[in-house]
Amino acid sequence: MLGGFTTPFFKKKGDIGYYLVYRGVDPNDGTNAVYIASDTWKKATVAKEKKLHPLEPWLEISSEKSDWDGADPTLLHSMLVQLHLIRAFEETVLELAGEGLVHGPAHSSVGQEGGAVGSIVGLRASDAINGSHRGHHQFLAKALGYVAPNGFDSAAPVTPEIQTVLQKTLAEILGLAQGFCKGRGGSMHLQWHEAGCLGTNAIVGGGVPLAAGNAWAQKHSNTEDLTVTYFGDGAVNIGSVLESMNLTAAWDIPLVFFIENNLYAVSTTVEEATAEARLSGRGVGFGVTSLRVDGMDPLAVHLTMHKAADIARSGKGPVVVEAEVYRFFHQNGAFPGSAFGYRSKEEEASWRERDPLTRMATEMISRGHITQEQVDTLRAQAQAAMSAAAAELVEQDPDGKAGVRRIKPDLWPSPDFVNVGVRGDLSELAGAKTLEASTHQGESESVRFVDAVAAVMDRRMEQDPRIVILGEDIHRLKGGTNGATKGLAEKYPGRVLGTPISENAFVGLGGGMALDGRFRPVVEFMYPDFLWVAADQVFNQIGKARHMFGGESPVPLVLRTKVAMGTGYGSQHLMDPAGIFATAPGWRIMAPSTPHDYVGMMNAALACDDPVLVIEHVDLYADKGEIPVSDLDYQIPFGTARMVREGSEVTVLSYLSMVEKTQQAIDQTGMDAELIDLRFLDQASVDWAAIEKSVQKTNAVMIVEQGARGTSYGGWLADEIQRRLFDHLDQPVLRVSGGEASPSISKVLETAAIAGVDDIVAGLEQARTNAGGGR
Amino acid sequence: MATVIRMPEVLAGAAEAVISQWMIQEGQEVAVGDTLAEIETEKANVDYQAEEQGRLARVLIKPGETVEVGAPIAVFAAAGDTDDDIEAALAAAGGADAPAAAATEPAPTAEATPAPAAETHAPSSPTPPPAPAEQSPVVQNGGRIYASPLVRKRARESGIDLSQVTGTGPGGRIVKKDLESFTPAAPAAPAAPASTPATPAPAPAYSQAATGEAGYTDRPHTGMRRAIARRLTESKTTVPHFYVTADCRVEKLLEARTQMNEATGVKVSVNDWVMKAVAKALMEVPDANVIWTDEALRFFNRADIAVAVAVEGGLLTPVLRGVESMSLTQINHEVTRLATKAREGAISQAEIEGGSFSVSNLGMYGTDAFQAILNPPQSGILAVGAARDAVVVENGELVAGKVMTVNLSADHRAVDGALAAEWMKAFRHYIENPLALLA
Repeated sequence: MLGGFTTPFFKKKGDIGYYLVYRGVDPNDGTNAVYIASDTWKKATVAKEKKLHPLEPWLEISSEKSDWDGADPTLLHSMLVQLHLIRAFEETVLELAGEGLVHGPAHSSVGQEGGAVGSIVGLRASDAINGSHRGHHQFLAKALGYVAPNGFDSAAPVTPEIQTVLQKTLAEILGLAQGFCKGRGGSMHLQWHEAGCLGTNAIVGGGVPLAAGNAWAQKHSNTEDLTVTYFGDGAVNIGSVLESMNLTAAWDIPLVFFIENNLYAVSTTVEEATAEARLSGRGVGFGVTSLRVDGMDPLAVHLTMHKAADIARSGKGPVVVEAEVYRFFHQNGAFPGSAFGYRSKEEEASWRERDPLTRMATEMISRGHITQEQVDTLRAQAQAAMSAAAAELVEQDPDGKAGVRRIKPDLWPSPDFVNVGVRGDLSELAGAKTLEASTHQGESESVRFVDAVAAVMDRRMEQDPRIVILGEDIHRLKGGTNGATKGLAEKYPGRVLGTPISENAFVGLGGGMALDGRFRPVVEFMYPDFLWVAADQVFNQIGKARHMFGGESPVPLVLRTKVAMGTGYGSQHLMDPAGIFATAPGWRIMAPSTPHDYVGMMNAALACDDPVLVIEHVDLYADKGEIPVSDLDYQIPFGTARMVREGSEVTVLSYLSMVEKTQQAIDQTGMDAELIDLRFLDQASVDWAAIEKSVQKTNAVMIVEQGARGTSYGGWLADEIQRRLFDHLDQPVLRVSGGEASPSISKVLETAAIAGVDDIVAGLEQARTNAGGGR
Repeated sequence: MATVIRMPEVLAGAAEAVISQWMIQEGQEVAVGDTLAEIETEKANVDYQAEEQGRLARVLIKPGETVEVGAPIAVFAAAGDTDDDIEAALAAAGGADAPAAAATEPAPTAEATPAPAAETHAPSSPTPPPAPAEQSPVVQNGGRIYASPLVRKRARESGIDLSQVTGTGPGGRIVKKDLESFTPAAPAAPAAPASTPATPAPAPAYSQAATGEAGYTDRPHTGMRRAIARRLTESKTTVPHFYVTADCRVEKLLEARTQMNEATGVKVSVNDWVMKAVAKALMEVPDANVIWTDEALRFFNRADIAVAVAVEGGLLTPVLRGVESMSLTQINHEVTRLATKAREGAISQAEIEGGSFSVSNLGMYGTDAFQAILNPPQSGILAVGAARDAVVVENGELVAGKVMTVNLSADHRAVDGALAAEWMKAFRHYIENPLALLA
């Protein structure tokens, strides 16, 4: 029926008009052709076609006999030693898991060692890697390489430094205090910054934007270092990965996307998950050089990585490497995948024949670099090293039968370590110069709020070359959509980065920069609701990073966004993010209501080693306020609220633009309300001293905010107030907020959905009624 | 059908009560009139009797446990009820709360004597303003006092009985303003209508706390303590008291008592004579034998007189009925009987209700004279001092005599000054001429 065209290039078909259309390739000229199913198949008339080619090549690389012949024996010995150490390590983990001593999953890399070892053995100490939930082998390869800068000796494979790395890594996987992350990270969050191990990640693809940020920092620190981010076939279809491919390509960031294609995402096959099962093909669409290699051949991987590194180090941007590997076991645990029925024993046997350890040994033995006996000895030594490491951590269970082991009890972290390091201790702010508007003595000038936003950023960028700002359109339109970055792009070339529309990638990139520490990123979300688009990076990664990796990694990132209620942008642009961030550990939140406070709070945010959300409000941008004429360097004392109006009847807690609206409402009612501008909103920074003092005086509290009730901020605060101040409350904690629905486009509905002066007046009157006295 | 039994409001206005013991064990069959349990309220122990025949299927409250009035205390099963029926009844009860409970337990078991609290307000208003309802949240809320956390804390710290405070917040909630405008009645101690030893011991702990350093201990209030505080505060703050005092010559009375005791072998006390004199005076001045109610003055045709009895931790005022027709020895027996029951905690609600008048005698402690607080809804209380040696003027000469000072506190709404004076005159006549008491 199709004549000569039995294998159409495109298999898609669909109904167009009355015709069933088949697309195919004309074998005569290789162009696309369209065939219409009618009584007889006939080629339709199509416009002239021209074949397009990817910007960058897509290549498959394999090792030749000559490569093995010419390989440096030292390199081969190093790879063989690493392969055996990692294999022995993983076998020990499986053994302990089988005894119930590994809490949670331990994703074994047995079978996949070749990809990690081959790709990492050639890296520099100052290069960096991160990885995913299956990351022991990559972590070990980088960490072992770091403590053995001169290579490995297969006759004496285990130095004291190596023994230490093995034990600390095993301890971390067991959740013990002596682990790299003090037991916090476990199997899936292995970090050793010093060795270039940025931290493995349990969110599929979640580590990729962070790696991009690290690579950005490497490039802009004038090094030729690079970062490799490892992830599996399951991650190639997720936004974090694809957005990062685009972003790093757009900005020539030296990041190697290393796909460990082990053919199964748990039990789902690659072919089931994607039409293009040659996963390196992902890079082609983004203009990224893409390489494919047999991951069971460590030398081939090494050679492929060598090529990738050349590209990345020379400033040509990212590279995608796809290594086809095979995990010998199931997703986790010591059973093969065939036991779960999604693949066959025959398939597993065929891959086992390609075991990278065997391959490496065979090639080396055949070239006289080593004997089988020596290989056997190497394996025994690796196993002995792991037995020794385990013996430091586990012991015979005194209550169990012979051979039943337990964790040595004194090795666990102390339970009171549980919340240590959710945030930093703010010691970095010690000695900062602070200035409140109320105490400012010098000359002042009146400026628009939005100009104060741009002015303080200008001042900080001028003083601190580490500051880089990124966001959508911030480099154009005379300072972004609202003028908040006015003049900065011209003044600080290369430090004001207009991003593609991919919040997850660019905020994650900021997170990677912050974790690296050489830069201080300021990320802008044009509208707060985009936090949902970027939620993984914002909450899972940036917010949790310090705590998850042991409590000591600073994450100095500032996230700016503007509340835009009242502008008609509708349901998906008009939230107040404070409530959501307040429930997410790790973040600090600031919400300034005056230009003076903005300057001082942004200065504090940019000096702080924690991620800080700075919330602005479009209603405030045009408002004028006084700031000191020649001082843009002061900070607002961290964690302090501002007393706006003293009063006796009720304490009103508010922030941002609602402070002014509350003032108006108080004036309207004539109530003697005490108004406090909270300014610092996160659970660790709220000024409890001020709140407690006020409520103990007034015995009544009202929390005023503008946005929708569901995601609103006041809920947790009301909860905490009743807990802390129960015996001082003479009436329920009152809350003024918007309605349940997100604000709509329709002006009337929008107004109805958000809280305004009238709502605050009603709230104040309720407070008055609640106070009794028969009025 | 299985029914949930709730804690009855044994005493008007009582917010809570204690099951002192179950007389029927779980699972036992019960006949109408059987005592299910003994319930201890602030003032009395009450036998709680079965109103239906059936089986006590579940006991929900342990002996000694304090529960709110209206709270489920047991499940009663009729013949044929299954466990499921019982569970269903329990589940249904769980959904209902205090108000519902009040509904099944009709109104306050408010006895013949009207609950004073609500009635003492706005005496002359024909259509009561909405205030009274709110002003007695105790009644309105089925025993629960609504007060803000701040108010609860402050009341706790300064020993204020919140049942005395009128709430003006939403739903009658007592709020800070109410506490600030509340003037507590002078501490009840000396004025208690009681022969209470009122050992000034519990000179309230809070006063010591206020002075700072002095160490103190807090003794948690008993139900009785709270009831005394509430009722007397209510009385002193809502009933217009006025006072009539008389010094009575009692040489003859003491002589007659001595002779009579010798003759009968019964140790009739001075107080028994006083009781008798009070009864006679009430009969002779019937306009004084009266109490105030919102709608009317209620006149009594016999002399029911309460006598204050000091008991551990407070006082009780059992009522002697028909004292006018009792002999002195009967009075003596009856007072002794009731006082014993009171001290043993065995007195019943019925025995402490009613009466138009009380006698409080502190003479045995050597007190010369004092003024007592009315015991609502009664309209008179006589505070009796000690019979003491005194110089008196007799026919223009100073002579040694025996004098007993008595002080009548009267409710001016029911009893005017002249009437009180008339009554006092009659009383004095009888007490100074004891033979007339025997007539």
